[in-house]
Amino acid sequence: MKYTTFNQKRTNPLVEPMFFGNPVNVARYDQQKHSIFEKLIEKQISFFWRPEEVDVSKDRVDFQSLSDSEKHIFISNLKYQTLLDSVQGRSPNIAFLPIISLPELETWTETWSFFETIHSRSYTHILRNLFTDPSNIFDDIVVNEHIKQRAGDISKYYDDLIFYTQLWQTQGEGVHTVDGEVHQVNMRELKKKLYLCMNSVNALEAIRFYVSFACTFAFAERELMEGNSKIIRLIARDENLHLTSTQHILNLWQKGKDDPEMAEIAEELKDEARAIFMQAVEQEKQWAGYLFGQGSMIGLNEEILCQYVEYIANHRMSAIGMGQPFDVTSNPLPWMNNYLNSDNVQVAPQESEISSYLVGQIDSEVNAEDFGDFDL
Amino acid sequence: MSDDTRFVITIADHKPIPCETDKTVLENLEAQNVEVHYHCREGFCGACRTKLIKGEVDYTTDPLAYIDDDEFLPCCTIALTDIDIKIEY
Repeated sequence: MKYTTFNQKRTNPLVEPMFFGNPVNVARYDQQKHSIFEKLIEKQISFFWRPEEVDVSKDRVDFQSLSDSEKHIFISNLKYQTLLDSVQGRSPNIAFLPIISLPELETWTETWSFFETIHSRSYTHILRNLFTDPSNIFDDIVVNEHIKQRAGDISKYYDDLIFYTQLWQTQGEGVHTVDGEVHQVNMRELKKKLYLCMNSVNALEAIRFYVSFACTFAFAERELMEGNSKIIRLIARDENLHLTSTQHILNLWQKGKDDPEMAEIAEELKDEARAIFMQAVEQEKQWAGYLFGQGSMIGLNEEILCQYVEYIANHRMSAIGMGQPFDVTSNPLPWMNNYLNSDNVQVAPQESEISSYLVGQIDSEVNAEDFGDFDL
Repeated sequence: MSDDTRFVITIADHKPIPCETDKTVLENLEAQNVEVHYHCREGFCGACRTKLIKGEVDYTTDPLAYIDDDEFLPCCTIALTDIDIKIEY
């Protein structure tokens, strides 16, 4: 079916499936088939923040004092997160928008992607502060083998869905040969690709970020790189919301509350979807190995980080009916919760960062010297 | 001992604990050092998802996280009755 930016056919979005129904025409939000997406949009917009509002200048001094292995951990994580958000800043838009049939889901996807672009911009903000010329860091992202290995798995499900959607929208269902490769395009096949892609995105938001988050917050526990930690907290809060949206989509399908064919596909591809998640867990553990390959950092090592990946995977997998495959019963990094708690995220970063917000405030810092000439 | 301000939380594999209604279920669990996973404490991440076996709870905020029919979010609920729960680690 050819994509149209304004479908002139009268449709009722209250009975359309989330994906592969009629293209959306009127962007209306007074009525919703799945009201959760409208609520997520509101919540996400209320989280709006700008990286420039967070002062990262003290981090430059902290960074110089880190050991070489700690520098490696810090920079490698930033590279990996830059990759993840480069993918997430564009892919939901390109892969999902052409096949979405509900206005609230369309706008949620755009809102979600937009926030990923804020995250990408914040990595530049952090790196520009640490290095006079951050080009080497960015250039390494496309040549570093350890990062490329993950990039392949993250983007392949998106790319596959995008390519088949393009074939379907330009040439319709049937067997198409492109560059000597034969592709069988039909609705069932498209929906299968969508299901696997959504599972891959879910795994990305659910666990792929958490190795980096743990390292960042471990630095912050030692009062190092705190500007960076403030930014990563804001990112973690957004990612939690994005994860909620993919969990809702997967559960709506599985429970037969949307497209009945997707419920069949969810059952049919259960093992494959689970394998995607397990593969992501494995890759994140390997990443932890690479990070600590040149030496550990205080408060964190490869073993404990791998346990944390398993612990968080148990939670994320049970949320989408995949059970708890790992034998980890208590949180190996309990202090992580403090950083992921949205109460602890400063609501308006500018209030502490821009001096003009501090008008009328008195200097409350008292040092021992201030009592130097004090006699009783 | 059930009056309107104090109920009992019965937890699988754990001794029962008191539950005050001016605090969320999560705060009550924490007050008794029961380990529960949590992140946002605002009902949007779902990290604290817990099985509600018996009893009733009321949400203090509209939960955005996905919760199954037999589950609830301790971070943004108060108990309305004695409750039986099962915490998934």
